[in-house]
Amino acid sequence: MADSPEEIKKSIKTYLLVGAILFAGTVATVLVATVPALDIGGHGFDHWDMWLGLAIATTKASFVAAVFMHLNHEKAWVYWLFGMGLFFGAAMVFLIFLAKGDPIHYDRFEDGGVSAAVMSE
Amino acid sequence: MSATATHDELHHDHHDPGFVRKYIFSTDHKMIGLQYGITAGLFLLFGFFLMIAMRWSIAFPHEPLPGWIAMFFPDGWEARWLQDGKLTGDAYNMFGAMHGTIMVFLGVVPLGFGAFGNYVTPLQIGAPDMAFPRLNMMSYWIYLAGGLVMCASFFMESGAAKSGWTNYSPLAGIADGQIVNQWLAGQTQWLIGLVLLITSSLLGSVNFITTIINLRARGLTWMRMPFFVWAMLVTGFLLLLAFPPLEAAGIMQLMDRVAGSSFFMPSGLYTSAEGLMEISGGGSPLLFQHLFWFLGHPEVYVLLLPAIACVAEIIPANTRKPLWGYKAMVYGVLVLGFLSFIVWAHHMYMTGMGPVVSTFFQTTTVLISIPSVILLTSLIISLWQGSIRFTPAMIWACAFLPMFGIGGLTGLPLAFNLVGLHLHDTYYVIGHFHYVVAPGILFGLFAGVYHWYPKITGRFMSRFLSHLHFWPSLICMNLIFFPMLTQGMAGFHRRWYNGGDSYLATDPESANVFGRTVAEHIDLNIVMSYAAWAMALAQVPFLINLVWSKLAGRKVESDNPWNATTLEWATPTPPGHGNFTTEPVVYRGPYEYSRPDHDEDFLPQWTEPKKPAEKPEESPAAH
Amino acid sequence: MEIPYVVNPRKDTGLFNSKIAIWLFLASEVMLFGGLFSGYVFLRIGADYPWPERTLPVLPGLINTFILIASSVTVVFAWAALKMRKWRQFQIFMGITVACALIFMVFKGVEYGVKFKHQALRMNDFTMVEGHIGYVKAKGGDDHADDHADDHGEEHGDDHAADYARDVHGEKIEANQHVFAAESVAFNLARYHKPWAEDLIAEAAREGVEVKLAETLDFNAGEGGEEPVFEAGTVLSMDLLDDLADAYADNLTRNATWRKRYLRKAWDIKWEDVEENNLLGEASFAADFPKALELESDERKKAYTRWKAGMRARMAQDVTIDEVKLSSGSKPVTIDDESYASRELPAPGSAKFTCSKPLVLRQKSHDVITDYKADNSTISLRDGTSLAGAYKPSPMDFHDVDGIDFQHLAMDAEKRNLDPEITIENSWLVKNNPVVADLWTMHKDAIAQLEQNLIDHYGYRKGKDGKPLEDAAGNPVAKRVPTEKDRYRMGWQEIAYYMDLLDKHEGEGVPKIDLPKDANAAPKVTMTPKEHFMGPDYGTRSFPHLTIPRSEVLLDAKFTPKWNSYYAIYFTITGLHGLHVIGGAIVLAYYLFFGRSMYLSNPEWLANRVEVGGLFWHFVDLVWIFAFPIFYLM
Repeated sequence: MADSPEEIKKSIKTYLLVGAILFAGTVATVLVATVPALDIGGHGFDHWDMWLGLAIATTKASFVAAVFMHLNHEKAWVYWLFGMGLFFGAAMVFLIFLAKGDPIHYDRFEDGGVSAAVMSE
Repeated sequence: MSATATHDELHHDHHDPGFVRKYIFSTDHKMIGLQYGITAGLFLLFGFFLMIAMRWSIAFPHEPLPGWIAMFFPDGWEARWLQDGKLTGDAYNMFGAMHGTIMVFLGVVPLGFGAFGNYVTPLQIGAPDMAFPRLNMMSYWIYLAGGLVMCASFFMESGAAKSGWTNYSPLAGIADGQIVNQWLAGQTQWLIGLVLLITSSLLGSVNFITTIINLRARGLTWMRMPFFVWAMLVTGFLLLLAFPPLEAAGIMQLMDRVAGSSFFMPSGLYTSAEGLMEISGGGSPLLFQHLFWFLGHPEVYVLLLPAIACVAEIIPANTRKPLWGYKAMVYGVLVLGFLSFIVWAHHMYMTGMGPVVSTFFQTTTVLISIPSVILLTSLIISLWQGSIRFTPAMIWACAFLPMFGIGGLTGLPLAFNLVGLHLHDTYYVIGHFHYVVAPGILFGLFAGVYHWYPKITGRFMSRFLSHLHFWPSLICMNLIFFPMLTQGMAGFHRRWYNGGDSYLATDPESANVFGRTVAEHIDLNIVMSYAAWAMALAQVPFLINLVWSKLAGRKVESDNPWNATTLEWATPTPPGHGNFTTEPVVYRGPYEYSRPDHDEDFLPQWTEPKKPAEKPEESPAAH
Repeated sequence: MEIPYVVNPRKDTGLFNSKIAIWLFLASEVMLFGGLFSGYVFLRIGADYPWPERTLPVLPGLINTFILIASSVTVVFAWAALKMRKWRQFQIFMGITVACALIFMVFKGVEYGVKFKHQALRMNDFTMVEGHIGYVKAKGGDDHADDHADDHGEEHGDDHAADYARDVHGEKIEANQHVFAAESVAFNLARYHKPWAEDLIAEAAREGVEVKLAETLDFNAGEGGEEPVFEAGTVLSMDLLDDLADAYADNLTRNATWRKRYLRKAWDIKWEDVEENNLLGEASFAADFPKALELESDERKKAYTRWKAGMRARMAQDVTIDEVKLSSGSKPVTIDDESYASRELPAPGSAKFTCSKPLVLRQKSHDVITDYKADNSTISLRDGTSLAGAYKPSPMDFHDVDGIDFQHLAMDAEKRNLDPEITIENSWLVKNNPVVADLWTMHKDAIAQLEQNLIDHYGYRKGKDGKPLEDAAGNPVAKRVPTEKDRYRMGWQEIAYYMDLLDKHEGEGVPKIDLPKDANAAPKVTMTPKEHFMGPDYGTRSFPHLTIPRSEVLLDAKFTPKWNSYYAIYFTITGLHGLHVIGGAIVLAYYLFFGRSMYLSNPEWLANRVEVGGLFWHFVDLVWIFAFPIFYLM
């Protein structure tokens, strides 16, 4: 961990730089979503915009995690503990969507309104 | 070190802290453990009482409750909920939902993790206390608040929650809809209580894991840790990572109830009370089930692991030989913890999941039986060729093994999709998980009480009373739960408030096939109910034993009355604030019994070796 | 012994206690927000209605993002300052951090506040109307709202307080409530809602209506009992209701106690009978079911079991509170020579009151259980109160409509294989409101031009072989087309644009739209900075006025979690995030204001705690980094 005063002094610049990157990323993500000329994919919101937005957000988040939260140089234990949260969180999301996407739902209940009415009877 | 000495938070008061600080708002892990234990014990009794009343309704649905059950209900309450002295369907649902909730969230988890974990873990790792004593105190008080909030709702106009302990939406979303101020509805109070309980568990698990990682005594390397501590570590992680999704689900359901949102409410929901519900719809009831069972399954292991942990401590101490397969058990429990996160949807085979997902969860569910079997087998093999001392703790531990075995094995069929479809929501499921929880886990925890009681109080528990407690309990447990397996296979649904009475035809030949099956198995209800009531009687010797032994039990002669090897027996009896009189140092593994190179049949972890070769491998910085 | 590693890290783990704890806590937070965000995705991909995409004003969210990022930078600086033992610098940076948190919450509060005042409506044909609801005027009818006045801007000065009807609490009354002229009111004595009863009494007093008990309620069974008697004509008061409820509960309890005793006695008699006559024995079985004797012994056993189980159910039919049917004839049940009937006390569950003249009552839609029908003469409230009289028309009055959305209607039409545009033209709103019909005509025109502009600018899609792609009908496929939202939703900027044109060309029929030949041109007005935060400026823009009859209303809600699952998850995640901001700010402020003595005694300890607090703060920032694009931009 870079926590001797000298090293911290050196990393001040890094912090400022990351702050600037975050600001720039925020501006970029808003511009691609609101300025029609910068719209990627089709007209209006579509999955391209979604992936682009999430990619920018993930990049920003990685900078915060790596630099501000010092994950670029942490003890092994921290990686294990936090990594477990990330891993099981991802597993949960993945499996829930696997279950949702499994065909039985969509073949049978294409018409959501009707099936909901049937189920509530 | 001077750094720590200056902080008053860390100063352990060596003078008398006063009654309130010592017994009520205590930050000492032992007192908090006892608080957890007593509170959880009271909640267990309450939950058990609800079941006693329910069992009457199941066995004798037409007859009013007898005086010895009905006397516990206030008159006005009885008039509201017990029609003609009989349980109404609503009241039965309320009791059923609260029985499950209380037993799981307010009884067994706090007893296993909160009480035993709190009392024993810091002692076994040679720590002066938990890493965050005040956080520890907060977890207890938040737990108590959550429990009281839930139970207070019995006395509200709406009554307590009635949608089962699983609280499925949309049923739970529309329940108590007639109450104008939704904050005062039992179903809402349940959610508030749940959010508090989860918060408490989260604080507790953070505390436990930190303590185990950072506060181990000098020389206590990972593979020298008693199995108990390993189990607590895994339990801590289960609570830490599995509970938050339920907290999310709880918050969303709370929004559904008090803010009128439709997270879990489908479009076009129509009820007899309100007609077309005035909600936006578009939500997903299945989402709740996913989030609930993401907790729900690890929760099973949160219940189980502390019990196995107690048994794993008691068996070596009473067989006078090392725990067989210690390493295999440690890896087993880690794998168990890992797998328990990815098996949850086996509770949801009936929800119309596709074949891919069903197969996946079926596979992981069958896989998880492997580490469970490793744990159980290791414990059974540990008995092999031991010179067993049948202390009170040991008889309970011995009974735990076959009982938990039945519970585990009856779970295997439920893992399979196809069988699950037939057995879903029948008494078979009830029988299965009660075998795990009641004669399994509770027996393990009883064993723990008998085992550590001398350390806590300085006196032994009465042997006679413990046998009087044990044998009737063992017999009754099996009489209660084994018939459930039979009934379940015959198709008895788990939520019949009258035990299947509505399926009876007065003419024996006019009944359809199902009616005939019900008629042939319905008398088992009476057997089970009598067993349940006898079970209540069997707990009386235990309660007497707890109090009487504290006052007049035989005093222990040494700090280590069982001649055990783990660190908690190195403390004074009972341990004072700060636990150890000198800083403990660990020289060897946790279960060094009957070593041929040692005179006595046990070699405690803290005994300094005679040979210089056995120095501690690791010496962390002195603080 | 003391707890070690509070300040200095343990050698083998390299960490001090609270650092382990915070990372564990953050891991659980990942799971918490993971659960919530997966809820978001689950709801969005499973939505059976058009998800409101890009529906929030971006600017407040953008500024809040800047604020949080800035605070993340300053909290690192605050920690660095402590590490370098510069107390003054620490104070400055930490002060900025906490101030940022406060500003963030103020913006959040403004955003929420705008939504809580904004009314939405889903009509029976799934047309959505958004806007501001009017207030009921004092004179000239109960349900007519003022056209010009403004609920969200008292500052306009045209709000003449005297013009509005006020409820008993002195509040203006929104014109979206169910109105009922009650001739009689029956309270459910077990669960009437006290605040409603209080309001009703106050309303009656204000209107000079006398509400009196309709008939005498005598809680005694015969004459001369001790229970209270409530004479017909007693004036309704909270005390009276209290007393009635108490008397009811008392009698209920007393009756229940006696019923239980009689029932127990009855069962005792029945069981005696069973034992005396061996009614459950094999002999009775054989008598009852002679065919059984011919069965195999195994089968007979089963039949006997079934018969016995059935017998118990039949016995239950023989046992009642008044009498027991015995094998030898009926037998009355008495305790101390008295039957139950002579002990039973009356326990009427409701108390009916009549009004001297019709009392006009208003209730929110959620409080009314009965579905609206114009000729309904009774209405049930959620607390079991039953009103009899006349259901008034109860329309919803929007004085500023700033959103008309046919997306759901169009989706529903497509599902039923109908042409969405024809369905829209046949919708209640377009048919019955000429202004909306004009708006829709202009909108269709504008979208057709937008579609052409997009084709002109981007052209058609080509296949791999370079030839233009064709759809099933043989038409070329444009590269970019207007979205469903473009086609079927008129947001406030569109409506203001069209209304402006309508005003300019008043009396000339529906004006033609003339969009610039530019792919990015849209039929919208440009927002002023204030409008970015507070929504449209109703003082300068003009918006249509709509009155929607109650019978067309399917769901009315403010822009709260009730409106749809998008707003539900938006409020839940941002609300929970807001609580985290508040919690984090409190902790950081504690270090700022009360950290001095800790700093003097052991600066490293304070630095550690600030680091841990900072880690939490960064995590809060992380959540926002995802929440912002997901809720505001997608």
